[in-house]
Amino acid sequence: MVLRRVKKDGFEYIATLQRVKKVGFEDIACRKEESGKVCGSLKEFPEDSVDKHHFYLLEPLVWEQWLDVCPFCTTALRRVKKGGFEDVATSTRRRGRAPQFIRSHVPPRTERMAVDQDWSSVYPTAAAFKPASVPLPIRMGYPVKRGVPPPKEGNLELIKIPNFLHLTPPAIKKHCAALKDFCTEWPSALDSDEKCEQHFPIEIETVDYVSAGTSIRNPKARVVTLRVKLSNLNLDDHAKKKLIKLVGERYCKDTDVLNITTDRCPLRRQNYDYGIHLLTVLYHESWKTEMWESEKTEEDMEEYIWENSCSQKNAVETLLRIKASENVSNVTKEELLASEVVKNYRNSVIALKNEGETENTMSQYKESVKKLLNIQALP
Amino acid sequence: DKLAVLQTLASTVNRDPTAAHYMFQDDPFLMPRNAGNSRLFSLSKESGRNAAKYIIKQFPQYFDKIFAEPNIPCLMPEALTPQIEGVSEEALKERINLRRVKDSVDLFDQLVQAGTPVSLETTNSLLDLLCFYGDGESTPEKQEGQKEDLEEPGRYLLLSSLTFSLFVDYRENNNAERIFKIMPERNAHSYCTMIRGMVKHGASAKAYDMYMDLLNERHKADVHTFNALITAVPYLKERFLERWELAKVFLNHMVQQGVQPNLLTFNALLKTLRRCGGVGRSMSLLVMKEMEALDIEPSLATYDHLLFIFYRGVDLCPPGIILEVLDDVEKRSFTPQDPDDANFFATAMQACCDLKDIKLAYRLNKAMEKGDNWKFLDMDRLNAYWSKFFSLLCMMEQIDVVLKWYKEMSLSVFYPTPKNILDLLQALDAANHLEVIPSVWEDMKQLGFSRRQDLLEELLSLMSREQHPEEIQLAFAKCADDIKAVHEQTGREQAPLEWTGSVLCHVTLLFSRVGRTQDAWNMMERFQQINRIPTEQVMDEFLNCAKQTNCSDEAIKLVKLAASLGLPSSQRLKSRTEKEFELSEKQKKTLESIKSDSDSSDSDSDSDSD
Repeated sequence: MVLRRVKKDGFEYIATLQRVKKVGFEDIACRKEESGKVCGSLKEFPEDSVDKHHFYLLEPLVWEQWLDVCPFCTTALRRVKKGGFEDVATSTRRRGRAPQFIRSHVPPRTERMAVDQDWSSVYPTAAAFKPASVPLPIRMGYPVKRGVPPPKEGNLELIKIPNFLHLTPPAIKKHCAALKDFCTEWPSALDSDEKCEQHFPIEIETVDYVSAGTSIRNPKARVVTLRVKLSNLNLDDHAKKKLIKLVGERYCKDTDVLNITTDRCPLRRQNYDYGIHLLTVLYHESWKTEMWESEKTEEDMEEYIWENSCSQKNAVETLLRIKASENVSNVTKEELLASEVVKNYRNSVIALKNEGETENTMSQYKESVKKLLNIQALP
Repeated sequence: DKLAVLQTLASTVNRDPTAAHYMFQDDPFLMPRNAGNSRLFSLSKESGRNAAKYIIKQFPQYFDKIFAEPNIPCLMPEALTPQIEGVSEEALKERINLRRVKDSVDLFDQLVQAGTPVSLETTNSLLDLLCFYGDGESTPEKQEGQKEDLEEPGRYLLLSSLTFSLFVDYRENNNAERIFKIMPERNAHSYCTMIRGMVKHGASAKAYDMYMDLLNERHKADVHTFNALITAVPYLKERFLERWELAKVFLNHMVQQGVQPNLLTFNALLKTLRRCGGVGRSMSLLVMKEMEALDIEPSLATYDHLLFIFYRGVDLCPPGIILEVLDDVEKRSFTPQDPDDANFFATAMQACCDLKDIKLAYRLNKAMEKGDNWKFLDMDRLNAYWSKFFSLLCMMEQIDVVLKWYKEMSLSVFYPTPKNILDLLQALDAANHLEVIPSVWEDMKQLGFSRRQDLLEELLSLMSREQHPEEIQLAFAKCADDIKAVHEQTGREQAPLEWTGSVLCHVTLLFSRVGRTQDAWNMMERFQQINRIPTEQVMDEFLNCAKQTNCSDEAIKLVKLAASLGLPSSQRLKSRTEKEFELSEKQKKTLESIKSDSDSSDSDSDSDSD
């Protein structure tokens, strides 16, 4: 099938058995090998036939890559050089890029592979992607214009990326079964996560790096991460608050986990020792109380404490004044503080300050204030 | 053990039946396609490695930068320049250690001229060096000067059990002899080294004389010397019995001098017996008994010699010996102890083929796969072994077993030889499994056998012998197409293959049977080009084909051709054409006209015979 550009505005596809006129650039011919005839013209194919689809897709693929065979209908493709007449059907001259010594086409060994072969023998170790050894019809890459992604033969994209063809699940099963002899039994007493945590509260994480190169060293291998839950450490309230203040960002409040990552020493062992040292120092320091800690102000507090706050003072004063205006006998501050309504008020204020403003806390505050000041609801 | 984990993981992996050997690149264009290619590729890889080693050795100054972290000392070049300068015994010792033959000889001469006494030990080690490396240098590039002497190509054949010529590069008045003569005192070691060197380089008579000198001096030889002498026996005497007698003499001397024989002694003895014909057969079993008595484990070389003695003769022996040998070989995994070990499997498989015993071959194969035994077969020997095994399989086994082995082993472990393909075709024929032939043809193309006349003839005759069902016939026609292309290619590399008569007949038949009349007619036209006549069968088939496709023109052309060739069957063909085809008027006239031609030619011949 001869594709010929007639004018600049569009393509016109013509199929002839006759000479191809010189048009100004290369034409492409698709020749069926068996009968020696060329594929028919575009008009012969019905609207939605597969072969017509081939024509539309064929051209860009042949432009972009030198294809020998139309990948859709497996007919042979031939590029006819521009300029000059060339009798398409009978000419056997190969112009242009025909090489001197053409190796006859060798079928890739995927055709001889059995369907139930042992894949771990084909890819026993990590290796680059070999298109002739992997019997999968993979395409990868940016699609050519109005076409499909390029096929796997000679596809650099597939070769560049790391592949895990050597670690398919059956292969991993085999490896595990073989390596079982090197392993000792898991201790039977540690059969749940909680027990593991209870006996071994500190988790150490290190990473080993392997790469193909002249050097086996990798500077990233010295990093050591320590993880411990604060609930496993013996801390009282003050110590815990002080520890959290000391470590700052390394503590995660949601999971109650302290993460210490050390990489300041050149060797992994040194970093591990340093991490353990850090943990010990933090623990001991948080138990000590310095003199200047008594100067802790309200801004340093982590949570709101109602005792000795202005809210308490205000509430008590207001109640005293109410009681004085009602001419009740002197009630003491302690009685007031111990009364039900004040306690309610206290709880609601604490909840509001500590947990933030939600529907719940706001309504609780409203109720408690109403009770405190003996206000009835608005009609 | 550092490698234990890797070894366990490696044990989970089996052989891949479609891949070539792991040393080759796994790419369809870079895999070897036949035995010659695989040998070439593996040798070129090895030669590349040797070239790299040579460059590193020659120019160590360019390879002093250490890239690897931590450093790998065995990959860095060694410092091979001698450190000690000056003329002294230490310098001589150093050069001997560094294997610099010429330098050590020069230094020794200098020392002798200066009058410094060189100790016996050093002289002995110098003699060792000279006898081991011959008279040339240990590095090959300095041997150019010496190669001019050895002009006959036959002398380059190495000492191997396949050929019987010894690498003879012993020259008269070489350095070793000279130094030996000027030595003020000699001990047993000196004599022994000289004897071993002479035997190694092919001067067996001199070695014998040297041995006589040793005996005269009342020295004792060591076991290696005796081994060398026994190896040299076939070159000292011609007749079988004399050879055996001489070997016995040496053995008696060993007993007298109290030298304990080892495995190599017995192997050398058996190797000598290989060339002793009938004497060998009777004596070798006694040798084996002696080995048992001395509690020496036989190696593969022992068995190789045994099998060669018994099974390579003209008359075949009963399989008793080989059964015992196999019994022992199956039990254990061997380590290399003798350079001749490598030939065992090939010889054994040859013996199995000669005895036509497939069970023995299976046992041998199992023994080969056991432990480390497969390491004894390198690329060449592997191919020879498997191709013999495959021939035996084709002869003796059922076709499905044969095909199973073929699919698993061919093109990955071994590359079939033309003989193997022939055997396979015959096996397919015997089992009436001819539909596999197109895939065999594909393999033939890949192996590069598509231009061999004998294979083509066999293939085509099998395909065209009988009529087959439709798809098979089409596949056969496609093969015929390929074969036609081989004969006609406008090759840049190769000239097109010449047509022969039978090939042409078969191709025409195959085309006719599928109804490709035009192609078949093209073939018919070629008959005249090569001056051959198509057979009756071909012409009948062609007519059938033409009838099926209603090409009466072709039929008439055929009759014309037959008439022009003056064939006796042209009359018959003509009448067939008239009867079976619907001819137009013009065609009928043409047909008539042909008849008159043939008549006239007949009358001419009649007149000639008068």
